[in-house]
Amino acid sequence: MSKIDLTTRELMLESIKHYAKTKIPFDFVREHDAKNLFPAELIKDMYRHDVLGVNLLLIPEEYGGLGGSTTDIYRICEALARIDLGIATSVFATFLGSDPLSVGGTPEQKAYWFGRMAKENMLVAYGATEADAGSDLVSLRTRAEHVIENGKITGYKITGSKMWISNGGTADLYTVLAIAPGGPSWFLMEKNTPGFTQDHHEDKHGIRLSNTAGLSFDEAFVPAANLIGGVEGQGLLQAQAVFGYTRLMVAAFGLGAGEEAVETAIDYACHRIQAGGPLAEKQGYMHKLITPHYIRFEAARAFIDETAKKLDVNNHGQATEGSIAKYYATEAGNRACEDAIQALGGFGYTKEFAVEKLKRDVKITCIYEGTNEVMEMTIYRGRWQEHLKTRGEYYKNIAAEMEQIHSKTPDLGADVLAQGLRALAYILEECRLQRLTRHQFITFKLGELIANGEVAAALCRALGAGKIPEGSKFDMDTLKAMCRVNAREVAYDIAARGARLVLGAGAGDANNMLAQTNFAAIQGRMAGITEDMDKVSAKLRELFKK
Amino acid sequence: MNIIVCIKQVPDSTRVKVDPKTSTLVRAGVPSILNPYDHFALSQALKIKAKTGANITVLSMGPQQAVSVIRLALGLGADKGILLSDRAFAGSDTWATSYALAAAIKKTGNFDLILCGQMAIDGDTAQTGPGIAYHLDIPQITFCDSADIEGRVVRAGKIIDGGHQLMEADLPALVTMTMPFDYAPAYPSLMGAFKAQQKPLEVWTAAQIGADPAKLGLEGSPTRVDRIFPPPARPKGQIFSGSAGELADTLIEILKKEGVIK
Repeated sequence: MSKIDLTTRELMLESIKHYAKTKIPFDFVREHDAKNLFPAELIKDMYRHDVLGVNLLLIPEEYGGLGGSTTDIYRICEALARIDLGIATSVFATFLGSDPLSVGGTPEQKAYWFGRMAKENMLVAYGATEADAGSDLVSLRTRAEHVIENGKITGYKITGSKMWISNGGTADLYTVLAIAPGGPSWFLMEKNTPGFTQDHHEDKHGIRLSNTAGLSFDEAFVPAANLIGGVEGQGLLQAQAVFGYTRLMVAAFGLGAGEEAVETAIDYACHRIQAGGPLAEKQGYMHKLITPHYIRFEAARAFIDETAKKLDVNNHGQATEGSIAKYYATEAGNRACEDAIQALGGFGYTKEFAVEKLKRDVKITCIYEGTNEVMEMTIYRGRWQEHLKTRGEYYKNIAAEMEQIHSKTPDLGADVLAQGLRALAYILEECRLQRLTRHQFITFKLGELIANGEVAAALCRALGAGKIPEGSKFDMDTLKAMCRVNAREVAYDIAARGARLVLGAGAGDANNMLAQTNFAAIQGRMAGITEDMDKVSAKLRELFKK
Repeated sequence: MNIIVCIKQVPDSTRVKVDPKTSTLVRAGVPSILNPYDHFALSQALKIKAKTGANITVLSMGPQQAVSVIRLALGLGADKGILLSDRAFAGSDTWATSYALAAAIKKTGNFDLILCGQMAIDGDTAQTGPGIAYHLDIPQITFCDSADIEGRVVRAGKIIDGGHQLMEADLPALVTMTMPFDYAPAYPSLMGAFKAQQKPLEVWTAAQIGADPAKLGLEGSPTRVDRIFPPPARPKGQIFSGSAGELADTLIEILKKEGVIK
């Protein structure tokens, strides 16, 4: 259980919103965006313990921090993303930068470095990515050579370079991944270390308030005590141990940025009168540009929250779930921001309104912490193993769970989702029998269908248990309407697109496929989508008209 | 020195809309906040605490969710929270509410200064503070924008037409606070919010404060709300255009016609 309770978490979020309202006006953000400036003083102010002390969340309580749980941190990430994704990224980079320490650090290292981070409000950077080593960290080239005195390793000389490092030019402390004689390892390096230089701030498409820079190391020395964990060769394991967690934070970024854009669009559409009425009253406008996005956000929220609560219990792991959350929420956020520009028409295309900047900013969430194509592959790999291990029962089991939920709560669409998940199990098995996973594209798209199915199941699960996912602004009735729309669409999509993947590879028989995926039955359950969408649209107008 | 600050959780009335068809308040999606006048009263209590080391107890009556505004107050530096929460309190008007709050204040034992917001932004009655003073039979100073302690005396700046009236009362006393137009409410740091979680917060029922059930809830409330409705819409104004000179002429003509000037 997390130590920070829900009331405190909500109060912390209130404090952050209040801070943003009074200290970070849109003009400030817009000017820094236009001039490509990192708001150093603002970030330092947000780190001050008597102001916000947002950095304290990542520092364990015993070292003077707040020891925030995964739930605490993802909710803060969502709130920060709504303010500015560049500022959010700067804060997140400190979280990320200290992760190797929290995963692999010795008790002495944690006490020393976390203690300093808390006292000195240090900005931290995570130095992993290189020109040839992005998602593929195995291709790492930066080296760490032993420095030996009197037959003893006293330190390391690090040589090489890193690129696209968030807080790269502004951090006080860096965690650097380099290949030591014993294998890839993390090292802690302070900013003024001789031989260590930082490149210029990159001129980026978005998140321009986040400093991004390359790092160069020319025999930069760190003492042996700065090898995280004190044992060489643990670097990649330590990096992978936190992917579930860090990707969940990026998922929250996609969610936050998307919500901000769509809510801006709804308020605009409530006041913009065209052809005799507000745009928000027009069904075509809402069903195309607005409502589907918010439905995906609520499904994403349910999945993110479910995964966060699991991580709060188990600390690490959930790598596939983290990838699903990141992939689904950032795709949803990215598409929502794109449509928000469209929803605002000409206004949306100008810099007077925030949606244009949100669109530029949110794009990074589909790229960093592993591109969404790497996510598709990771999701596929993770669940393919489950499919094989269970002899094809994995999604049939989840389908059975959905049927169970449906028997108790029949107004969620969990039964149609169950049909979709059974279709998914069939398609995965067909891919195995026909050896279709030799087509990389099929594996990517299986990853997408899996993500859609699992996220839809998470929303059914939460609502079936009578729980409104944390942070949701909707009542149970509206959430159920959202859940029904999503369950129907996902089931239809799995059966239709899954069949296309198999048939497209020249395998299977179309009629058999239709029968095995139960496609006719799924189609038969589509009635009511339009009515539910209307219901959701009405609630969106009610909630977000200012 | 023991200070009690009475606070209330209210809907952010700047965000509440009125349904034009039913004339009822649309509260969906409207966040609940600490009543701004109470927020200011708390800030005055914190100032006195900084000077005298006083102990601050925040007292609220409401459903369980009202814990969140008590936590906010604790996060800002109050020492203890008390929430009166019981079905018996439901439907209480300002008279029954002030009776219950006064009973709770008596139960706390030693109290020197009670600070209340002038009124809650959801009801705008400004009656609960004075009601508490009546039930406790202590002096009250209302409509003040400052309060300070000198020995066993409270000095408060009461706003009057064109200035302030500096008032004094012997303790124990009650002061209701209005706020300066430029008052910016403070929020706690994340560490402050976390520390609030560890401070004492008690929930008291009607029985625990020894209140007479007949004086609580609807039964104990002499006020009846007949209906709630938005003010009638004002008729549309007239818009004139032209140069400054022409507009001035038009204005003079209208004012003459209306008999405002000759």
